[in-house]
Amino acid sequence: LSPANRQNRGARDVAVVAVSQTPSYAQFNDSEPKLIMRCVTDLLDRTGLDRDDLQFTIAGSCDYLSGMPFAFVSNIDGVGAWPPVYESHVEMDGAWALFEAWIRLQLGDVDTALVIGSGKSSPGRPREVFPLQTDPYVMAPLGLDPVSLAGIQARAVIDAGLASEQAFAEVVARNRHDAVANPNAQMSGDVTVDDLLAQPYLSTPLRAHDCPPVSDGAAALILAAGNRARDLAERPVWIRGLDHRMDSHHPGLRDLTESASAATAAVNAGVADGAVDVAELMVTFSHEEGILRRALMLGDDTVVNPSGGPLVGHPVMATGLIRVIEVARRIAAGDADRGVAHASSGALLQQNLVCVLEGSA
Amino acid sequence: MPAATPDPSELRTVTLTLEYPYTRTTGPVMGPFLTALRDGKIIATRIGTRVICPPLEYDPATGATVDPDFVEVGPSGTVGAWTWVAEPTPKHPFDHPFAFALITLDGADTALVHAVDAGAPEAMATGMRVTARFGDDRKGAITDVWFVPGARAQAARPLAEPPGEPVAITEHLISLVVSEPLYPHRARFARGLLDGRIIGQRSPVSAKVYVPSNGYDNLERVEMTDADDVEVSDRGSVSSFTVITPVQYYGQRETEPYIRASILLDGANSPITGVDIRDLPVDQFRVGMRVQAVWKPAAERDVSDIGNRFGAAWEGVIERWQPTGEPDADPRPLQEFAF
Repeated sequence: LSPANRQNRGARDVAVVAVSQTPSYAQFNDSEPKLIMRCVTDLLDRTGLDRDDLQFTIAGSCDYLSGMPFAFVSNIDGVGAWPPVYESHVEMDGAWALFEAWIRLQLGDVDTALVIGSGKSSPGRPREVFPLQTDPYVMAPLGLDPVSLAGIQARAVIDAGLASEQAFAEVVARNRHDAVANPNAQMSGDVTVDDLLAQPYLSTPLRAHDCPPVSDGAAALILAAGNRARDLAERPVWIRGLDHRMDSHHPGLRDLTESASAATAAVNAGVADGAVDVAELMVTFSHEEGILRRALMLGDDTVVNPSGGPLVGHPVMATGLIRVIEVARRIAAGDADRGVAHASSGALLQQNLVCVLEGSA
Repeated sequence: MPAATPDPSELRTVTLTLEYPYTRTTGPVMGPFLTALRDGKIIATRIGTRVICPPLEYDPATGATVDPDFVEVGPSGTVGAWTWVAEPTPKHPFDHPFAFALITLDGADTALVHAVDAGAPEAMATGMRVTARFGDDRKGAITDVWFVPGARAQAARPLAEPPGEPVAITEHLISLVVSEPLYPHRARFARGLLDGRIIGQRSPVSAKVYVPSNGYDNLERVEMTDADDVEVSDRGSVSSFTVITPVQYYGQRETEPYIRASILLDGANSPITGVDIRDLPVDQFRVGMRVQAVWKPAAERDVSDIGNRFGAAWEGVIERWQPTGEPDADPRPLQEFAF
């Protein structure tokens, strides 16, 4: 391994020892802290830990989505306001909170961490919120929203001969079918590709079902290091590699038919070092699945998004962390030995995180 | 007595508009680019062997700062990938369907994302030619320009007023609308106020009474339900206050100094905060002072300002807070309820 790669594998073994998530709600008519509280209480019940046993707390959320300055502060109510916690926050998906917690545990002075991701998109208008993360001079004033940008990328993929509208619909039909077995999914059921293709366009070549639902929800997990992980879980799910990279925020400077940053993160995290039984990819638009499969070099023997993925539930700021949870859950249950979780942030798969998880000690 | 479970019709939708005015300096590259748009031209920067539009202050390959070497590009260009926006948002440049497209302007090597006013999706195709159109009221912003199908150039009309200095600052008002039903515990609280009663919630674990409640006890990390609702007194002790001298920031409506107080109501374990005090002299107001709500007549009470987020909009139901005339409460234990 190169020094850079070693850095992405971690000097200290860290594992996911418990996971929790709320359902993905079309509208949760109560507060975000309450969603978080449900996850935290569930995690403590499962592990038998007291809250004091969690030595580091970190959450990912977005004040612009909540429509409330400092919403991330009241979110900590969900963890319990007393005694004070050693707390950090990222204005990013909970998957990046996981990254910071993993780095924190590498320091060696703490052995446990609570990682949270939460968001309520239903009160706001996501297509008006997210242009604010684009370039403030040449993109945000045009109201360039994720759906429109995704439409441009989907067209680029089709123009390059890499996919078709039919292929997009097949992703949606497979996701909704798989979601029948996922109690947290917001939408599920069997739909035919023909029926999907008969729907009107929302932003050509994408239809509404190619885009994620608007969702409210939260997710959380507990990380533990070394023997503490072995004490807390029958089958700890070890983080074997973790990296995140990003591309330019100017779409005109990128080849939109690929995701260079996802490919780099996958190499650094060591995706190809072994067989990948299961992968949960943050496919928030159906055309992204093909781009990500190619970037992560996943073969046909990898089961992709068995939960149904973000197209059946997209609680923004928890969606990426849920990918980690869905992989960890399957490994902990013995249904898989090695898996990959992917999270994305920004427009057009701009920033990508890849996490390799393994069941063996 | 707990307040009755609210009628579903009381779970009204609350809407708030969150606004932040952003001003940004433009710098040595974006400033000239936006100034050129105001002049009816599009410029790019030459970086190495490539002409980059929109222009950058740095080499995208290395991140190294580069001295700007401007070249004019367009006004026509070629469409790469595009999408037809069937349902424009209020933030989009057009209120009718249009296309967003990657446009490589003539003379440039990279694409700009912009809007094409093409009328119908059938008028759009990858590889088609488009040409810039400039608005008459150009402000030095990316929205000064848009594109139409075809190659027929049309010079920008002169501005009505001389343009003045180069664009050094941009202003961008962020305005987001958030809309959601009143949460059930907030609806019961609002119902109570209309009835002249202040409803809190008693923690099923610690028995502490929170008013207004968040619907949970954040010390014990436990959710609360309507079974935990309790009524508290409308009199209490001032636990903290501040006199605010208003600064005229964006959105500030106050002009004179005013008091914002926290009051620990009798029977509650958390103070109500941000209470607007108008009728009591600033120099006589003090921690420990006993005060009592003077309710508005029932017909005049208004809880429409009560949302799910901050505060309780006491001003809609309570006329004022008046001293009870009782001896002051001991201020020392009130220190625990300063906020």
